[in-house]
Amino acid sequence: MTQPLLDIAGLAVSYGTTNRRVPAVRNVSFAIAPGEAYGLIGESGSGKTTIAFAVMGHLNGGRVDAGRILFRDRDILALSPQELASLRGRSIAMVYQDPLSSLNPTLRVGEQVAEGIRHHRGLSHRAAAAEAASLLDQVHLPDPARLMLRYPHELSGGQQQRVVIAMALACRPQLLIMDEPTTGLDVTTEAVILDLVAELRSALGVAILFISHNLGVVRRVCDRIGVLYAGELMEEGRTEKVLQRPRHPYTRSLLRSIPEIGRRSERLASIAGSLPDLTSLPSGCIFHPRCPEARDICASAAPPVEEVEPGHISRCHFARDLPDALAEDTASASMKDLPEGRKPLLRVVDLEMHYVRSRRFGPFGRTIRVPALSGVGIEVAAGETLAIVGESGSGKSTLARCIVGLAAPTGGSIEFEGTPLTATRPRATRRDIQIIFQNPEAALNPFHTVAEIIARPLRLYGLREGPAIRQRVIELLDAVKLGERFSTHYPRELSGGEKQRVSIARAFAAEPRLVICDEPTSALDISVQAALLNELKELQRRYGTSYLFISHDLSVVRHIAERVAVMYLGLILETGPTAEVFQPPHHPYTEALISAVPTVSPVDRGPVLRLQGSVPDPANPPAGCVFHTRCPRKLGRVCETDAPPWRHTSAGRAYACHIPPEDLLALQQQPTTETDRPLPEMEEPHER
Amino acid sequence: MAMPKQSRGALLFLLTVILLIALGPWIAPYPATEFHSRHILEGPGTTYLLGTDEFGRDVLSRILWGARPTLLLALASAGLGVLLGTPTGLIAGYFGGRLDEILMRVMDVLMSFPALILAMLIVVMMGPNPVNVVLAIGVVFWPRSARLVRSVSQDLARREFIEAAKARGEAHVFILGRELLPNVLSILVVDFTLRVAAAILLTASLSYLGVGVVPPTPAWGLMVRDGQQFLQNAPWLVLFPCLAIALVSVGTVLVGDYLRRRVAVPGGERIA
Repeated sequence: MTQPLLDIAGLAVSYGTTNRRVPAVRNVSFAIAPGEAYGLIGESGSGKTTIAFAVMGHLNGGRVDAGRILFRDRDILALSPQELASLRGRSIAMVYQDPLSSLNPTLRVGEQVAEGIRHHRGLSHRAAAAEAASLLDQVHLPDPARLMLRYPHELSGGQQQRVVIAMALACRPQLLIMDEPTTGLDVTTEAVILDLVAELRSALGVAILFISHNLGVVRRVCDRIGVLYAGELMEEGRTEKVLQRPRHPYTRSLLRSIPEIGRRSERLASIAGSLPDLTSLPSGCIFHPRCPEARDICASAAPPVEEVEPGHISRCHFARDLPDALAEDTASASMKDLPEGRKPLLRVVDLEMHYVRSRRFGPFGRTIRVPALSGVGIEVAAGETLAIVGESGSGKSTLARCIVGLAAPTGGSIEFEGTPLTATRPRATRRDIQIIFQNPEAALNPFHTVAEIIARPLRLYGLREGPAIRQRVIELLDAVKLGERFSTHYPRELSGGEKQRVSIARAFAAEPRLVICDEPTSALDISVQAALLNELKELQRRYGTSYLFISHDLSVVRHIAERVAVMYLGLILETGPTAEVFQPPHHPYTEALISAVPTVSPVDRGPVLRLQGSVPDPANPPAGCVFHTRCPRKLGRVCETDAPPWRHTSAGRAYACHIPPEDLLALQQQPTTETDRPLPEMEEPHER
Repeated sequence: MAMPKQSRGALLFLLTVILLIALGPWIAPYPATEFHSRHILEGPGTTYLLGTDEFGRDVLSRILWGARPTLLLALASAGLGVLLGTPTGLIAGYFGGRLDEILMRVMDVLMSFPALILAMLIVVMMGPNPVNVVLAIGVVFWPRSARLVRSVSQDLARREFIEAAKARGEAHVFILGRELLPNVLSILVVDFTLRVAAAILLTASLSYLGVGVVPPTPAWGLMVRDGQQFLQNAPWLVLFPCLAIALVSVGTVLVGDYLRRRVAVPGGERIA
């Protein structure tokens, strides 16, 4: 191996006070060669961000207890603050998860990018501005000159992250640390950003330390990956080797917990239990309490680092004995058939909803209507799961808010068991429709205990009284796999997954007929997501509840829903049974969504399709087909002028597009002729 | 777990203040209004620890006697301000829209008067007695508290746990009292303690202008006012009451900080 750019050996970092040290990272060693992309994988709390901060030399309140971090043979831990500052600016740059927090809201984009260039490279104002423009161009931001005059909040999430990447590249670093750079983004945006990272890497030869909890994302970018668990490196090797022949049970469990589009099984494999308490680690192998392969020796002896093949190491006693294939958790079961003529539980007809946005120019007030829903119709049968899929801004959350009565639609109707519903509705009706929110951090009142939170619907709707309340709370806690001991906890003491379980228990306490799940797992780690999805399915089986499942993640939808509706800019573009929607011919938008989903399977799923630009401003939706501005299969003028017709391909399956099914099928089955090079993002569609 | 040093300090201080209010007159070496005509304007010494004033009254005794009216007045008026401001702010922030607009414009009108002028106006109109002083200062604090609570409740009202409560069909009163109020409590405590310090100064100013507590009541503010004319020759007349005011101000902030940590988000032992 050539001289590594970054060489970490025996790194140990701890937090806390002298009385109570929390060893967040223990004995971690890895190296990154110049120009190499290294992926660090782990659940939240595994210490991956701590390692990144240690490399950057600013551990907030943390302390390096042992080890060394060599960057081009200089020990970062021994540098003076001045040397560190210069190193951070010039040689190592970092991109954080939330782009908005790394951008100064009061500075124009151009000034921010140019400021770093001036400061670190000593260029003049004019030269720095020119350099900034070329950097923004390099990250494929359209019209850099105009964009430089805008403020960060005027950009979309994907554009903000591009600006942050441009700033990181400003001083031509040799190492770029990216901490979950795509976690907050839509799948389609994520795909384009990942393409960009791969492209920049080959163009600039910058080494990348890529941190993520998503194996699919890492696969796209990284040459090698290291799997981190509770602060220790469990497995390391070349990406394809680790993903295809994982030599550690933890990696294998992670891989199995990912819902894959091509694989539909009744249950996702989840990893039992949660990360161990770092202050009292298990003896022997730290993973053994959760390990499906654990044997006696695992609890007593720490496993040695085993090199299973050159460059592929695993910290497991049985690294060589693990079977090659990933065992499927259960045989894949066939999808439940929808009985014919089932009465819909919920029927939404032509629902319209617009927000009023006021624009004030001096004393002259002007209001504009921003449509969020422009005629949406869906039906949900009893005991069924309908998924609504779309990017942010598609109106899917507004639809949810209208159905639970948090927002008043401006047109159309919502019927529940044949009775029309408005925003002001009796409590008894509210009981029937419950909602689970996306963000578990905000969905629970921090001042109420778990028991109070779950008991509230019981009291409010008069479902239980006296001591029966407590009994029911415990029942519900058991149903969501939390158990009675959680009842006195406050939300702050729970992990994200546990909080979401409390939310689920609260929703089910009302004994609802329909539960709206608004991206319930998008804020959670993949392994936790798997467990939650399984539990939602189990609760559905037990209580016969219907779900309206809102998500931007098609692989999750594929796993949980019987039917799917694809939404874009307040309209439904395609609807049908899940399995069929994933088969061509599908709407070009659906096609792009499917193509964007990160995957760990090595087989390619056909042509790479990327969406250009971002969702148009809903205040001025495009004429004709709303999708024509980004459509990779746009026909021509007809798409810009005429609303597309609905095309029915099979029972219950339809999409809205000018292209007839036969042509669409031919287009979508075409083998990929283009190279895998990502398309640069531009205002105008590229293909066709 | 051992109590942090700062918290112990705060509690100790709280205890001292309560003792002062309860026992001040008994531990004072002399009656507050007793003249010692042969010891006029005497500096701090062994007989009169903190010196005497122009009538030969013992400064230490006056401070001890004065603790009760000063502190009770300050606590009551700060409490009244927070009591008025909290519901106003909660309602404005939670409901938003027109109601918010109306409530806040009323608050703006109150705010547009300088604090001292407004307080004076009310006391002069209603007559200078302690109850009216409390009322006046409470009204002065009202919009300030309301604005603070509103800004927090506005942010909280958009949180999903409030949405969840609305979706459940909870009554507004429940949402305001049980969901929102606990979340603003920690801010209220800090607000209250800062207001106590401000109230001491404001009562002092009112007394100074002659519309607050009237002599010979030994209020600290009054002592500062009366002592001012002797600043050149007898600085202790101003220094010690000022020191008392400063100590109480700093102390209430410490107590507030301690209380804030007690009522902060439960289960909040954060690691790193």
